Amino acid sequence: MTAPAVAARRTGAGLRRYLPYVTSGLQGLLQYRITFLVSGITAAVTAGLLAYLWREVFAARDTVAGFDLAGITTYVVLAQVLALLQNNRVDEGVSAEISRGDIAAVLIRPVSYPVSKFFASLPVSVANAVVVGVPVLGLYTLLLPLAAPTWSGLALFGPALVGSVLIAYAVNMLVGLAGFVSTNVWGLRTIKDSAVALLAGQLVPLAVMPEPMAAVARLLPFHGMVDSPLRLLLGRYSGAGEAVGILAVQLGWAVALLLAVAVVWRLAVRRLEVQGG
Amino acid sequence: MTGRGALGMALWYVRLTWFLSGVSLHRLVVYRADFLIGAGSLVVRVACQLALLGIIFQQVPALAGWSYHQVLFLTGFALLPRALDRLFTDQLWILSRDLVRTGDFHRYLLRPTSPLYTLLSERFLHPDGFGELVIGLAVVATAAAQLDLTLTPVQWLLLPLLVLCGALITTSIKVVFAALSFWTTTSFAAVVAASQPGDLSGYPLDLFHPSLRRLLTWLLPYAFTAYVPVSYLLFDRSDLLLWLPLVTAATLAVAGVVWRRGVDRFEMTGS
Repeated sequence: MTAPAVAARRTGAGLRRYLPYVTSGLQGLLQYRITFLVSGITAAVTAGLLAYLWREVFAARDTVAGFDLAGITTYVVLAQVLALLQNNRVDEGVSAEISRGDIAAVLIRPVSYPVSKFFASLPVSVANAVVVGVPVLGLYTLLLPLAAPTWSGLALFGPALVGSVLIAYAVNMLVGLAGFVSTNVWGLRTIKDSAVALLAGQLVPLAVMPEPMAAVARLLPFHGMVDSPLRLLLGRYSGAGEAVGILAVQLGWAVALLLAVAVVWRLAVRRLEVQGG
Repeated sequence: MTGRGALGMALWYVRLTWFLSGVSLHRLVVYRADFLIGAGSLVVRVACQLALLGIIFQQVPALAGWSYHQVLFLTGFALLPRALDRLFTDQLWILSRDLVRTGDFHRYLLRPTSPLYTLLSERFLHPDGFGELVIGLAVVATAAAQLDLTLTPVQWLLLPLLVLCGALITTSIKVVFAALSFWTTTSFAAVVAASQPGDLSGYPLDLFHPSLRRLLTWLLPYAFTAYVPVSYLLFDRSDLLLWLPLVTAATLAVAGVVWRRGVDRFEMTGS
């Protein structure tokens, strides 16, 4: 066998070790079916509020930063669906395992903890998006006029979606690991939830923000979670070059944040001290 | 406790609350970083909400007939009853999530105070509430100054009562949904779902579809926690204000009945 083939087989076997985490993530989810309903209500209420706010704005004018009413309504509804996809609860799970001390048992397993958490979060993300996101989208398609995406937009949206899931995982993992230094991860999560929602473009597109705020949002990684995928989907770029640029920036941030997770995890394990039980 | 009049009883609870809040204050001083993160988190949350308002009002001068500073006043006012609720009733979240499931609720039945009070008193002065209260007052004061708002003496007198009624309504809704856990073991999700529409109370209800407006007025009466009092303070509109005492009394009564039935049920299964 050639060397690359061996390497590929080894990676395959390596990744297969994480398959049980995917199924266990799914099983955990099925025990809390009611949380789907709650996520649905949250997403529907937020999307509805934003849609009503913009409807009032468009009663007075025709376009805002190149968006018409259908365009911005589509944006805010899809932003909520993306938020559901990113609601992977990694921060919650990791901080809980740290505060309970369960994290010690994790270290003796022959798998990487951050990688296992990633695989366990995948079914949560997908189930949230499919079971909750699609019905919410369906509801607003019936209630409000939405803009249809183009085929090229859909094609670019695919890879952007992967990038946004990676960034969301890394951000939540870093917040969860903050449990090593703070006991009030609930507070940190509230800060993360609201700040990320604004800076990711989950409430308004970056294009609509006033310049200083938009400049800050563009400098930070969060816009890769909502604004970038939706720019691609709704065709708000000029030429293939810009589209590739958006994807490249997003991918760059995803890699940088995943590296940050690896570094922080290593530092955290080094300072970990668990009382023997 | 027998032989105490209703007034004596109320005074006793007020004194007890004062004392137990002092105890809680000690905890805040000990866990200083937690306090700052907790209080700061609500400040960040409100700041992001205000940023959204700012962005919207860059595009239009008025929203459903409300100017920027009028909406700002409403947003700030909506935080006040919620802050009072958050300061004193955080334990309801714990009840809905854990206490019935683990059976730990029985501990609250053993003291010579009402079980609800005993439950809540375990964690008075929740730090997040401070952040919400401070930023709420700051936003209300800023908006009032920009609006050149002058209240009549009657409005000044009613102001604390309006906030108190709003807090009682918010807490009653939370009690009802947290008490569901006596039947369903956990009701955390239900409390989240019922609190969610409360986020809309910081916006003029005129924005919303009539059905949503009716829901927020008569079913989950969050309208009475901010929109109704602020309409009175800013525009002297009092058509719905007259309903406020009635709605407060009704939500309190519903919460009382559901709570008592729930606790009775817990005693019956008692493990």
